[in-house]
Amino acid sequence: MRPENHLGPREVLTGSGRPAEGPALRQHPESGRPPYHEMTNRVAVLERAAVLFALPEGVLRSLARRVRRLTVASGEMIVCQGDPGDTIFFIEQGRCRVVIERPPSVVTVAVLTDGDVFGEGPWLLKRSQQASVYAQTDCTLLAVDRQSMQLVLGRDRTVIENLTRVAEHRFRTFADTTVQAAWGTQFKEAAVVGVYSPKGGSGGTCLSLNLVGSLARRYPGQVLLLDLDFPYTHAALLAGLVPTTCLARLVQVPPDAFEEALLSAVLYHSGGPMILAGSLRPEEAEEVTPELVTRTIGVLRKTFRYIVIDLGVTISDTTLALLDLTQHIVLVAAPELSAVKSAADAIDILLRLGTPQDRLSVVLNNRSVKPAVTRSAVERMLSRGVDIEVAFDYSRPDQAAVNGEILSLTNPRSEITKGAEALADHLDAFHVKDPSTRSAAGRPDHS
Amino acid sequence: MMLATPSAGVIERTRGAVRRSAVRGQLQAIAAGKSQSLTFDLDSAALDVAALVRQATVGHRPGSVAHQRLAAAFQRSGIADVVVDRLAAADALQRIRSAQLAGALGLAHAVPWITPLLSAQEPAVRDAASRALGRIGGTASAEALLRAIRRDRPTRTLIVALARAAPDLFLETALCSPKRAGTRAPVVIAAGLRGRRASVSPLLAVLASGNRRERAAACRALGWIKAEIALPTVAASLGDRDWKVRMSAIKALTRLGPDAYMFEIEALRNDPEPRVRRTGRIATHRFFNKAARPWKWEWR
Repeated sequence: MRPENHLGPREVLTGSGRPAEGPALRQHPESGRPPYHEMTNRVAVLERAAVLFALPEGVLRSLARRVRRLTVASGEMIVCQGDPGDTIFFIEQGRCRVVIERPPSVVTVAVLTDGDVFGEGPWLLKRSQQASVYAQTDCTLLAVDRQSMQLVLGRDRTVIENLTRVAEHRFRTFADTTVQAAWGTQFKEAAVVGVYSPKGGSGGTCLSLNLVGSLARRYPGQVLLLDLDFPYTHAALLAGLVPTTCLARLVQVPPDAFEEALLSAVLYHSGGPMILAGSLRPEEAEEVTPELVTRTIGVLRKTFRYIVIDLGVTISDTTLALLDLTQHIVLVAAPELSAVKSAADAIDILLRLGTPQDRLSVVLNNRSVKPAVTRSAVERMLSRGVDIEVAFDYSRPDQAAVNGEILSLTNPRSEITKGAEALADHLDAFHVKDPSTRSAAGRPDHS
Repeated sequence: MMLATPSAGVIERTRGAVRRSAVRGQLQAIAAGKSQSLTFDLDSAALDVAALVRQATVGHRPGSVAHQRLAAAFQRSGIADVVVDRLAAADALQRIRSAQLAGALGLAHAVPWITPLLSAQEPAVRDAASRALGRIGGTASAEALLRAIRRDRPTRTLIVALARAAPDLFLETALCSPKRAGTRAPVVIAAGLRGRRASVSPLLAVLASGNRRERAAACRALGWIKAEIALPTVAASLGDRDWKVRMSAIKALTRLGPDAYMFEIEALRNDPEPRVRRTGRIATHRFFNKAARPWKWEWR
């Protein structure tokens, strides 16, 4: 019997368990002393690093002569958690993700970019690598080994002390972040699921609403839909609810009363789900800032089991802040040429932003009996599989909207209901760690 | 009654032991930060200073404070300069001892003077130089060792020294470099000995696209690293057309956890190559002996 392939954080993050096809790592050729412009570039990169800021230029040049210049392809592991290390890396160009694996979760503790430094811990703190570092984009790095650092900076204790201080601070910060993230898992804080449809009319809001309905049947009173499909937020209207206040109007609320005001703004649907409108009027959309959203999610995570956010179409600062806060992203695409192209672009953006492959699900929502673009064509264009396909549901969604009903609560035969149930199962598989909880919640009958 | 006088050899040995003890005490005091002075005769035949330095730094990582204190004391006393000078001496023994001491002290600035010793005529000098570079480590040492591997036949000492000397991502970049295709097999072995998990991806690439020597080496290296993620790929190598690769795959799977692929390994007991059959038989025996042990204990 073959065991399941154990995936490390690299595979979780990048979804690439297979070997690289081309040269994923490359050292730039060097012959003796580097040429003048090369030296200038290297010195510029080293100067940018805060820890070497105070070094005299002569010492910097001496260090620059000894560095190795490396190119690392996107997705490659640079440093592995638990390994010993002897090299400090300066990022000349690109973005790297620092990840700590703490079963059962993998916690991203930092994203480093141009001018940042990593790998200093093992040398200065005499510990093994605290975190793994992966290239999130194609990166150019300058690598300085321990011997070169000692040779150049051996007599300059100040720099070593500064570096040690930075390393200790970073070690503590990463450890704190990991512990907090682990607490989130331990204390069963809500899983935040973002539903994003890159093209309007793909059925993102409809699917969000029905997903919330499906989840609410499993976990009554523990599922919230946060409607941030700006500027026109219609989720409450589609569910037959009339909101009187919204998130945008909570900006002025003092911090000590924020939680109470926020929870009182939540609308309760008779079927179980709860809805919080982002804004009531289009002009209020601008009031919803990344800070407000972060604060809101922080409060809501303690109260609910699932928070589904309808992210709408646009990618704003708020959307980006929300993407950082979500544990799962559902991308809704319709089988139309323009929608699939937009979905492919959106997937590319999401992966560039560091969304792990397995935390991104693609839902294909058929809007006609016989779509012009087939599923296989969609998968080819997206370069990945479709996780859930929702069959055409005729006029049921429109009729449900007119009646103010949520299909997944009222009509078990609806295709939308089936799709929402499949999606809820898919999310449960990731976010409900305790199977007994899942089975206890059960899948209620539609009788 | 006449007392037997001890022979001159015994006295000399005793003197040597006393001298060694004194120097060992000095070195330990320096490593512990209790003293800074260092006085001894580098030419004394009885003194193997490199061994004494290694003893004084046992349990300390390379580049640790103890190493730095010792290196600083040798620099201050001027002995380090003498050591570097003697790396170019005509006498082979002096070159060997100097290389050993430079390696034990981790004198990074001595690397350019040790590098030519890798092509010395005397095998003992070459051996001492490669070990010294392995101990010193760093990019310069690793480059020198890699050049020596490319120029001469790759020896076991050179590969082990390269594994010790190579800084992070050095071997990985060497594996991915098309210019270093000739040295890939020794580098693969070095990457396996080094045991960093960052090497897994380049090693898998070598296993997928390398020649038969490289594929065989990559299998062994992945086994040494215990890269569980490589299990399916290594298991697929059980069906490789080359018998050496098949044999390496069995050996690697033995380290990675043979139970998952025991049926595939057992199937190789009918392999046309007798050495593969034998390796498969040993792997199966090992597995079943391990599995049977609790049962035996239970019956006892």
